[in-house]
Amino acid sequence: MMVVSTETSIAVECEQDIVTARQKGRELAALVGFSHTDQTLLATAISEVARNIVNYAGIGTIVLSSVEDQGRSGIMIVAQDHGPGIADIELAMRDGFSTGNSLGVGLPGTKRLVDDFELTSTLGVGTTVTLKKWLR
Amino acid sequence: MPVPILKQGEILVASIQAALSDVDLAALRDDLADRVGRLRSRGVVIDVTALDVLDSFATRTIRGIAYTARLRGANTVVVGIQPDVAFAMVQLGLSLDGIATALDLEDGLELLLRTRNDGRVHRN
Amino acid sequence: MGQLANQTSTQLLAKDMGLTPQSIERRRKIVGLEAQDLVRIDAIKELVSGHVDEFTTLFFDYLSPLDEARPMLSNRTIADRARKLKREHLLAMVQSDYGTAYVEQRLELALLYSKVGLDLRVFLAAFHHLLKGIGAMVMKHHEHAPLEGFAHFMSLKKVAFFDLGLIVDAIVFERERIIRQQQDAIRELSTPVLQIRERLLLLPIIGVIDTHRARLITDSLLKSIRAARAKVVVMDITGVATIDSKVANHLIQTITAARLMGASVIITGLSSDVAQSLVALGIDLAKLNTVGDLQGGMEEAENLLGYRVVPGERTTNGAPETHA
Repeated sequence: MMVVSTETSIAVECEQDIVTARQKGRELAALVGFSHTDQTLLATAISEVARNIVNYAGIGTIVLSSVEDQGRSGIMIVAQDHGPGIADIELAMRDGFSTGNSLGVGLPGTKRLVDDFELTSTLGVGTTVTLKKWLR
Repeated sequence: MPVPILKQGEILVASIQAALSDVDLAALRDDLADRVGRLRSRGVVIDVTALDVLDSFATRTIRGIAYTARLRGANTVVVGIQPDVAFAMVQLGLSLDGIATALDLEDGLELLLRTRNDGRVHRN
Repeated sequence: MGQLANQTSTQLLAKDMGLTPQSIERRRKIVGLEAQDLVRIDAIKELVSGHVDEFTTLFFDYLSPLDEARPMLSNRTIADRARKLKREHLLAMVQSDYGTAYVEQRLELALLYSKVGLDLRVFLAAFHHLLKGIGAMVMKHHEHAPLEGFAHFMSLKKVAFFDLGLIVDAIVFERERIIRQQQDAIRELSTPVLQIRERLLLLPIIGVIDTHRARLITDSLLKSIRAARAKVVVMDITGVATIDSKVANHLIQTITAARLMGASVIITGLSSDVAQSLVALGIDLAKLNTVGDLQGGMEEAENLLGYRVVPGERTTNGAPETHA
């Protein structure tokens, strides 16, 4: 059974919030015991999902938690918005695809930065991206 | 917070100190494009040593700055990408193809001066 | 102080092994430990606690003539601690509380066994001998109700097997941990980054590259680039027998990351088989700067760095040049 202890919730509304979110993420990652390299991977992942919120939904939240599961510890990042949602998730997860003005690495690239990646989205309701990374 | 741009001979040096917002980056791009023309600069060094994250947006902006500067007649070198940041960038699938990079400011300046002498940037 | 450190390493081990209250309950269920058993154990509680020193001695007397137990018994401090822990174990066995604290107590002993390298078979034999002793005493005490005595003892035996499960798992886990650490050490050893000249690094890659190793290689290369202020890296892949698309992507990522830091990468030792498979895989070779062999690669690197190799004048005996 997974034990989740929520540490911080950040309202993401503008670009400055993206910076705040990744700084908080780095702090928590350091606290959980991640190496400097892994902290950077996590901060980059947070930056990407936070950027998606600002670009596509306008406002949303990012919740950072430490997690324990089967004796391993890690960090969980939940990015949630009530924006327009993603019409074709499979397409969005394909490398090189982007509807916005980005390099098209966003979601598939973010997936490579973490261990677990989960994306749920409903048109007109919103999008939730859940990322997890475990200490090795 | 605007990025300070220093002029060193024919070269402009922009040291990005902290995580930048889109507005700051756009301002930096415009500012550099303007000065490259006005000061007839031949090279631009963008120093990102202080950045602990370069996400897809920041990378795209830096690329935009380099392309804009080149159209205005100056070559751009990005210097100071930290090991962890480089690692995260490639994991994310980012690169700076077509843009020169150097280890630090010193190497970046040297690279631009060498370019000045033989007329082209060595891209690795 | 020492007590605290032990406590922590035991708790860490419990965590690493995934011993949560739920999994501990599952373990009790597996050996069939039920409420009824607790009542029966309670009935022989006084008997076992009353003879605890005797039973502890039974365990260690069995071990003492055995060569395999010498590492544990020859060191006075360790032997005393083992004896104390075993005594505590016997007392706890009849307390009817087999939760987290009890489990951690078992792990503490397991850690001690594992540290001194006590063979499992030796431990099992001594533990069996100890149980036999307890059994004999319980039966003697229930001379007039042997069936009842047997039932009491069998309930206690469930606890004993609960304990064995934990001890064996912990010892095996510790052993695997050592293997994992050694594997990690070998992995790191196998990715040396060598500084050949000022600002020139050589990265020989040998063997199989998986995702984990590719990460280690990239990580250590990037850190070396910064430490040595490297401008050129020669990556020699003579020792890589086969390259599939996954490995090729790993290598390209490593090269891309090095370039981001401002270093050029020259690849050498690409066998014709590997080259052909790269072409067949449709890997973008335009991104790669390849030179046939290591020597050529070093020359190219020196050229990039502005070095020029000039043969020196020979001055030793037997030199071809002679003064007129």
